[in-house]
Parts: sequence; C-alpha cells; structure tokens
Amino acid sequence: MTSPGHPLPPALHSPSPRTPATLAGWRLERASHGRLDFIDAAGQRHGDVDVLRAFPVSAPAGPVVIVATDGAELAWIDPLSDLDAPLRGLLETALSQREFLPVIERIESVSDGEPMEWSVVTDRGPRWFTVTHIDDIVYAPDGSVSITDSVGVRYAIPQLSRLDSRSRRLLDRLD
Amino acid sequence: MSELKSRIASPSAGASNGSLSPGAGDRFELEPGEKVVASCRFDLDANLRFTDGSIVLTDRRLMADPPASADGGPAFDGGPRSWRLGPETTIDVHLRSAVGRIELAQQGQVVARWLFTPARAKGVHALEDAFDARVHGQTSQSRDAETETDTDTDEQPESVAPAGGKSLSEDEPAAGGMGTSWRALFRVLAFARPHASMAILGIFLTLASTVATLVPPYLTMPLVDSVLIPKQAGEPIPFAHVWWYLGGLALAATAAWLLSWARSWTLAWVSERIAADLRVKTYAHMQTLSLDFFSGKRTGDLMSRVGSDTDRINIFLSVNVIEFASNVMLVVLTAVVLIWINPWLALVTLAPFPLVVWLVYAVRTGLRRGFARASVAWADMTSVLADTIPGIRVVKAFAQEAREVARFSDANDRVLDANDRVNVVWAFFGPLVSLFSEIGLLVVWAAGAWMVFSGSVTVGMLTAFLTYISRFYGRIESMIHMVPATQRAATSAQRIFDILDCQPTVAEAARPINPGRVRGRIEISNLHFRYGAREILHGIDLTIEPGEMIGLVGTSGSGKSTLANLVCRFYDPSSGSIKIDGNDLRDLSITGYRRNLGCVLQEPFLFFGTIAENIAYGCPTDATSDPDELRQRIVAAARAAGAHEFILAQPLAYDSRVGERGGSLSGGERQRLSIARALLVDPRILVLDEATSAVDAETEAIIQAAIDRLVAGRTTIAIAHRLSTLRRANRLVVLDHGRIAEMGTHDDLLAAEGAYARLYHAQQKAAEEAAAGV
Repeated sequence: MTSPGHPLPPALHSPSPRTPATLAGWRLERASHGRLDFIDAAGQRHGDVDVLRAFPVSAPAGPVVIVATDGAELAWIDPLSDLDAPLRGLLETALSQREFLPVIERIESVSDGEPMEWSVVTDRGPRWFTVTHIDDIVYAPDGSVSITDSVGVRYAIPQLSRLDSRSRRLLDRLD
Repeated sequence: MSELKSRIASPSAGASNGSLSPGAGDRFELEPGEKVVASCRFDLDANLRFTDGSIVLTDRRLMADPPASADGGPAFDGGPRSWRLGPETTIDVHLRSAVGRIELAQQGQVVARWLFTPARAKGVHALEDAFDARVHGQTSQSRDAETETDTDTDEQPESVAPAGGKSLSEDEPAAGGMGTSWRALFRVLAFARPHASMAILGIFLTLASTVATLVPPYLTMPLVDSVLIPKQAGEPIPFAHVWWYLGGLALAATAAWLLSWARSWTLAWVSERIAADLRVKTYAHMQTLSLDFFSGKRTGDLMSRVGSDTDRINIFLSVNVIEFASNVMLVVLTAVVLIWINPWLALVTLAPFPLVVWLVYAVRTGLRRGFARASVAWADMTSVLADTIPGIRVVKAFAQEAREVARFSDANDRVLDANDRVNVVWAFFGPLVSLFSEIGLLVVWAAGAWMVFSGSVTVGMLTAFLTYISRFYGRIESMIHMVPATQRAATSAQRIFDILDCQPTVAEAARPINPGRVRGRIEISNLHFRYGAREILHGIDLTIEPGEMIGLVGTSGSGKSTLANLVCRFYDPSSGSIKIDGNDLRDLSITGYRRNLGCVLQEPFLFFGTIAENIAYGCPTDATSDPDELRQRIVAAARAAGAHEFILAQPLAYDSRVGERGGSLSGGERQRLSIARALLVDPRILVLDEATSAVDAETEAIIQAAIDRLVAGRTTIAIAHRLSTLRRANRLVVLDHGRIAEMGTHDDLLAAEGAYARLYHAQQKAAEEAAAGV
C-alpha cells in the first residue's frame, strides 16, 4: 500500500532526515480548470491531484502532502520552504483554496441549545451557519478557537482574548 | 490440646507453613523429623452432608480424616488415616460445580476421595500446589509459601469472588451502619488539612457573624424599657434616643451581613478545594487499581462516585455545614444570653428544646435508611443510562427502544418510590417542628405575661425573649434540614472511601526493579491461575526467546487471553512465575515494565481527540519535547501501520477528531490506528489479542501487513482464531483447558496430526466452502 512516491518508512526511533522534495525527481504541472497534474520520477502522470496539509490545525506550517485521486500518497513535503519558488507558489495556491478558513471577527448571536444557529461577521463578510454539537467548538491551549459547522466548513478565532467583550460573552455562555 | 498442637507446630518451624487448626492437631501425629507442608479442610461427606475434616500434607505423608470413598467403593469409617507419598502418588483436584473432589491416587489407582464446596477451594488448591511443588522440585518455593499462609482462613468461608480487595457495597451503601458512614464523613476532614488556615478563618467568621446577629434583639430591650415605655408613661424623652438605638440596630445588621458574606465565601472556597482533591484522589486511586476491580463494576456507578458523590460532599460542606455550625453557635449563644437576662424565663423558654432534639434523633434513623435506598436507586438509574447509551446500536437493531424506556422507567419508579418514603417521614416532621415552635412561643407568652404581672421581668425583656425565641426555633427547623443532608453526605463519603480503601490486587513490589529496556526473554514456569474457585491455567511452562513470535491457538476458554493478561501483568499468577530477562515480573516496577509492552486488542479503543493524539497516546509527552519530531514519528508509525493514506483522506488529516463521537472510521481503520499506537512506543514485548478477528478478510490482509512490520524484532504473543494470521509465528502453542496440548511450528503440528491439524483442516475447509459459495 505504500505509495510509489515514498519508500518504506525508515526505522521508527530515528526519523528520516528531511529529503528535499525537489530531489525526488517529480514535478507539478498546471492543467486545465485550475487542476494540478503530478508527474512522478518515473514519468508517470497523475491527473487532478490534491494538495493538503497533514496537520492543518496543530502545525499549519508543517508537512504538505500530494495525494492522487484514489487517495494514494504521491509526495511528502516537509517543509514547504525547501522547494523552489515557482513550485512552492503552485502548492501554496492549491493549499489556500483548500484551506478556506474564514476568521470570525464578531459574533452577532448564537442560539441556545443544540444545534446552535450562529450569526457572525468574518473577514470574508457576514455569515450564518449551524453548529451541531458543542464538541465542534475546539479551544486550543494557545487561545485560538476553531469552529466546524454542520456542513464541514471551519471558522477560526485566532485569539479569543482579542475578540470584543460581547462576542466573548456569547461564546462563554455556551459551556 | 495445646500441647498436642505444639507437637505439630513447633518442630515444623522451618517448614513453610506451621499453622494447623487445633482440631487437626490432636488427630494427626507426626513422626520424628516430619514436617508439615500444607493443610486444608474439606466440608462434605460421601452423602454430600456438611461435615468438617482436615487433610494434612507433610514432606512424607498425606494424613486426613476419613475420606468420602475410595475407588468408588463405600465410605470409610473410623479415625484419621495416612498415606505414604511415593513417586507414583498423585493428587487431583476437580472443581467444576458446587461440589469439588480431591483424589489421591497411587500407581494410577484412586485410593481416597474427599469432597468439598468452593468455600474450601482456596485451601484445597494451595495444598495441591504445595504437593505439585514438592514433585516438580522446589520451583519458586517462596511464592508458594506466600499463597499457603493465606490458606488458613478456615474460620471464615472464603469468598468465591477473586481476591479483589474489599468489594464495593453496591446494594446498601450505608450497610456498615451509621458508625461507618459517619466515620467516613470525619475522614473527609483530613482533606481539609491543607486548607486549615482558611478553614479556621471561616470558623472565626461564623462565630463573629453569629454574635452580630444576636446584638439587635438585645438592643430592643433598653429601647422598649428605657425609651418607649417611659415615653408612653408620659416622660419627656427626646426622639434622638430612638435614633441611637436604630443606628445600633442598623450597624449590627450591616456587620452581620458583611461577616456572613465573608464566612460563606471562605468556607465555600475551602469546601470546593476539598471536593476537588477528593475527586482527583478518587480518580487517581481508581487508575492504580487492577483490572479485576473494573470488570466487576458498572461504569455508571463508578462515574457517579467520582462525580455526583464528591459534588454532594461539596454542597454539604459549603452550605449545610456552615448553616449548621452557625445554627449551633446561635442556639448556644442565645441560651447563654437568655439565661444572662433572666434564668427563670430562660428555663421556661428552653424547656421544649430537649424534646425537639430527641425528635430529631429519632427521625434520623428512619431517614438514614431511606436515603441509602434512594441513593442506590439513583445509581441504578444512572447505570441504565450508562448501559444503553453506548449500546444504542444494539438497542435499535433489535427494536428494543420500548424495552429500554421501560427499564429506565422502572428504575425511575424505584427512585420515586424511595424518595416518596423519605418524604412521608419528612413531610410529617417539618410541620411538627413548626408546631413545637408555636407551642414554645405560647409558653413564653404565658410565662412572660405572668412574670410581667408579678413584676419580675420588664416588657422590654419579654420583647427581647420573644424575638430571640422565634429565631431560636427558626434555627432548629433549619438544623433539622441538616439531618438528611448529613446522611446523604455521609453515604457519599462512604461510597468514595469504598474506592479509596480498595487495594490493587496487582501490587507494586516493595523495592521494584526498574527494568529499563528489556531484551524480551519470557520464561513461564509452572504457571497456575485461578479466578475465584475456577482454575483457568494448570501449570504452563513456556520459554519465549527475545524477538520470537508465539502464536497461541485454542478454543474459547482454553486460557489464551488469560495467559496474555498475565504476561501484561493485568493479573498476578496464583502460583508459578513469569520471568522477564530472568527477573520475576512481580519484582519489576509495573509502569517501568509496561513501557516495554505494546498491546493490540480485538476492540481498538480510541480516545476523544485527534488522530495524531490517539497515535501518540502511549508516548510519554516529556520524552519528545520537539513537536516536529513527534509529528514525524507519528507519521512514520501511521505509514508502517498502513493508516497514513486513510488518515490523509479525513477532513483535517492527522488533526481530525475521532473517539466516542468520531464514528466515521471503520473497524479496520481503528485497528490500524491502534497498531500505529503500539508501533510508536516501540515495545519490546507485543501482545496481539485477536487483533484481526473483527475485520473482513480484505482488511485483514492490510492489517496483517502492518502487523508483520510491527512484530519484526519484538517478542510477540499473538492470539488468533484465524490460523492464517499466525503464519509468521516461530512457534505455535496449542492450549487446551489451561494446559499446553501441543507446541511446534506449523509444519510440525500438521505432521503430528493432533488438535492443531484438526483445527487447521476445519478452517481450510470452511474457507474453501466460503470461496465456492461466492
């Protein structure tokens, strides 16, 4: 099941030295409709690949993975900064679309009970959404809050303490 | 008799067990130099009537009271007999039902048979073990001796339950009587010690605020006597005097308010901390307890002990105790003030008080039982919830919603019933106290009026008395609320200390050896394990070399999982030993040893948290301070476990949440996460308990590849029903009824055409039939 792009895992207690992804001999090409094609070291083309971060919440600047349509891993890039600028730009564009993460600037109202109806103002404009369960609101130790709505869109509050007091009160009332 | 007893006991000082019951002592005579090795008692005769007899094992003979029968023949009569132990002598113990038998055989012929009930099982098994140890040479004699000293518990019937420390009294929390539960409440005070200064401040504030509340009625006395009455009598008294007294009254009220505010806050602060300490301590203690503690308990009951019971104590301390303390102070101080003002009127006023106290005491007993019952009913009700909510799929699949609702409703009715009974007493009691206080007021009015007429008290005094007395009885009424609250809190405290008093059956050695990183050589010698009266393992001998993979095969109940549990040290063996790199497992530090251990179980358990957190669960957080490095190791482990790609397909990859609510992962995926978890701790010893039996054949192939990577270089004990899972095993061990039936490689065992071969061919056939069917 190991992907062609990655050899068998190295010994577990000595993590692999970071191999610059560019040395692995693969490249990316921009295809039509904003899709990305991946051409591996053997010249094999994989159409419409997906680019994602392995730890989008706990390490938002951490490792990036390129995944084929069937879910197979094609390349593991850690860190992204090892790549040359054009390739990195291509990946960052792909990631930015994937990492659609509106930042909540103000909370207008939150309904009582579950599911909760939220009305917020984000950095991308006002928004209405539903949160099914209180567990979908995750408070990180660094003071940030992540909220996942019923359709899977995530919203972020980067620093709870910087939110205005009314919004904070609305959030406080939830626990 | 004591002389005869010493005849047996004293020469055997060197023997491992010298204690014989006196009854046995005067019937058995030892030869010079003969040593008693073990003894036990049996309690049934040939007709299955209860009797009492002894069996004594010495280093050369077996002596006993008349056995039930020999060789199937008629019962023996007469006095004790003895048999000389030869090389061909065997002792066999059978215990499958309520009647067990001990058979003594010589040259394969049963020469005597004794019958016993499970109440004697422990002693009988100890004798058997001692006999076996004598035959098998002196393997781990000190351990056996330890077991034997436990056998002399003839005075009280042995519990059939495993030696799991003190059992929790679930049926009647206050069964120990009022004494025990009140003592439990006092033990809670020990938790106040770290906050003693605040507690003392709180007591001082209570006293001060009580005094402050006593001032206003005292001020009414001169207000009436030297201002109002003289004014009414026509004396020219300026209104300014009234202002003085009003000012004093206001001041006292304000002081009382501020002081009781400070008091409530202080004591609530202390009691919050006591409850918090209790919670953590109870939970931490629960974590040290062995598995057998948890297997016998209902989750809901344990949860309510840690949660609601500690909270009840908190409320009791922060609300009821404060109230009670200030009430007691108020009552005492009021009595003092009343006597100070006028002893005779005070006497009349306080006369009904002892009656009320007696009443409180009388009702308490009735309420205590009622509250204990209510608390049990409540725990039962929460248990129904804890049972059904995790099993909701089964409930729905079998369309048993109505049944579950009925079950809950029944439990709820029992709560209702228990509360109703309490309320009957309660509802009668409250108004009764009110009646007493009305009568008390009446008495004071009558006596006071009479004394005013006779001129021995003033109107002001009477006013003060009436004000005091109405408060006095008001306080008594609220003191009575203290009774049920105390009862409830005492019951809760008892339930908490029940847990805190439980000793782990798998105890840390007095001077534990820290094994560090073990090589992984496991030597199992003459291993016996008993659960209650049932013996599950009868003498297992097995040595596993470092890095070797052993496959355990056998039918359900053959002891496979028990053996694995013993290697994990979830339980300790009844006799015999397990040695890791030459050290007895019981001498190793438990956590130190388990750091070397990896477990993959049939039902992979994921905690509520992210996938990354679940994989890193076994990893000491301080070991890797660098989160980047930890992440790399997590990814490497997930790759090796074949979990990497399905993790990437989750919405937040490694940061996706799983656990109780994260039902989005399939059984095979969960299993691969648990394999990654085991891989990350890089264990030296690996236990795979039916790791692949819950998944389909295709998933099994993926998991199998992951397991092959996991097994490499580690000492592995794998249990599997599907023999194909064990194809990588160096040796297969076939267990049958707690004994090793066969051992060898797959090919050897096939060639031997024994139990393994039969099992293998049966599975092959089933697989072929399944394939043909598709």
